[in-house]
Amino acid sequence: MEGIIIALFVCLVLALVAKYLTIPAIPFYIIAGVVLGHAGLGIVASDQISSFFSDMGLIFLLFFVGLGLKVDKISENQSEVLTSGMIDLNVNMIIGFVAAYLLGFSLVEALIVAAAFYSSSTAMTVTSLIENRKLMMRESETIIWLMVFEDLVLIIVLAILSAGNENLLLFAGEILFGLALIYALAHYGKEFLISILDRDDELPIIFTFVAVVATAAFALELGVPDTLMVIALGAAFATTDPDAFEQHARPFKDVFMVIFFVFFGITINLSGNISVGVIAIICLLAIASKLISGVLTGIALYGSAKSGLEIWTNTIGRGEFSIALAVLYGSPPVAATIAVMVIVTSLVGSFVAKYYGSLSRGFGRRSRHHGPPHRVHAVH
Amino acid sequence: MSPMALRSLNLPGVGTKYEFETDKGDTVAIFFTKTGTIQMYTLQKGCHTPSAAEMTPVEARRLGNILTGAIIEADQESVEIAFSALADLRITIHSYIIPRAIAGKTIEDLRIRAKTGTTVIAISRNDKNIINPPPSFVFETGDAVLVIGESDQLRLFEREIMVD
Repeated sequence: MEGIIIALFVCLVLALVAKYLTIPAIPFYIIAGVVLGHAGLGIVASDQISSFFSDMGLIFLLFFVGLGLKVDKISENQSEVLTSGMIDLNVNMIIGFVAAYLLGFSLVEALIVAAAFYSSSTAMTVTSLIENRKLMMRESETIIWLMVFEDLVLIIVLAILSAGNENLLLFAGEILFGLALIYALAHYGKEFLISILDRDDELPIIFTFVAVVATAAFALELGVPDTLMVIALGAAFATTDPDAFEQHARPFKDVFMVIFFVFFGITINLSGNISVGVIAIICLLAIASKLISGVLTGIALYGSAKSGLEIWTNTIGRGEFSIALAVLYGSPPVAATIAVMVIVTSLVGSFVAKYYGSLSRGFGRRSRHHGPPHRVHAVH
Repeated sequence: MSPMALRSLNLPGVGTKYEFETDKGDTVAIFFTKTGTIQMYTLQKGCHTPSAAEMTPVEARRLGNILTGAIIEADQESVEIAFSALADLRITIHSYIIPRAIAGKTIEDLRIRAKTGTTVIAISRNDKNIINPPPSFVFETGDAVLVIGESDQLRLFEREIMVD
């Protein structure tokens, strides 16, 4: 138990520093974990309590993913979302997979590395757009919907990975049963849910916590992956009052996620049979492949490579989902690779996003006449 | 000219966006972000780099008051509202602190409406608000009262009642 307190205290201090410097805190949590844990000083080790809290962190993260999926409000610009989503998916999945496989990972490991490699951090992207005052850019909408697309792909990846070697038909049947139950409860209990959420005592927050935790426990009992069921619960609740649920679940998510990140770092083993070279190549490719997919998307949607650079600068950082994949399915070398990739890309991403504006203005001035075509009124 | 088209849009994970183009071709975009802040962007016609301002909800409301024409006078405690639909009726709401001289008297005793034409619409005492006080309401020293009326009537209120 003292371990968690030490780790949380270190994270609190680091979070203060990160917020002060306006850079994402996630890489610092992981670094803190690596330094405190197995690969570093060995002060803190994971135990039953910490892994329970880490599980909670993951479950609440996925619940939030579900809350964000409102099926009825998929963008008006479906073809644009699909184009950018497919470019992003293909370019990054293929580069990630081929690179990981060629660098010596097994097929399944390479798939996990590729999925982690593909998935940009939604949290970091959104924060970057808001903090760098980029929301008005036409590319912002593309980027935001790209994150939704990535979340949907992630759910499919989770389903595939969790199916493993089970009887697919039986597995699908169990999942459908779970889904049907959750949706029926949310649909027929809608009035009840809203009446609970409208109260201003402690009931809404207790209810939210119990609903999420009980769903996870129920899923394990039923033999279906709790990850998928919790996402489904979020999606089902999103049909009632997603903002209220976000508000009540946020404190749990915020605290448990910190424990999740720091203990991910603590369990990392850097001394295994994994070479620094392999990790370095993956990190460089992770930055480069988002550049390729970003520029291709920019050209496809706006006929402008510069738009693509904007997309790139805001989607470099990998984060929570990459780590979730590493925790759920990663072997020690995969987890170590993903850990370093998240740290490197999130730090590089936040600096590029912050300073790209001033860089591109200098660049734009020099090359205005032979640069990519701008919109008609896009003249200073 | 057709009325401006206001586009509102829900951006998952970010918040709500409102955007419209003015008659002159400038663009204004407002984002209510999930972090609780409000960002306003303005893009001048012909430019492609918008300028942005980030506001707290209180600051945004203040801006909104200015834009809707609720003119905030130099004295922060007074708001004048003009209703264009009512032949440019200009109504002022002013706050005053009750002096010792009239403490212990009721609204009825002071004959506020008969003497000045103004109405006391709210009183704040010890951080509690009393809306639409009855004529029998007894003032205490230090009460903050909100009085509504035309500016002439309020001047009368200041002369006749506050110094009583």
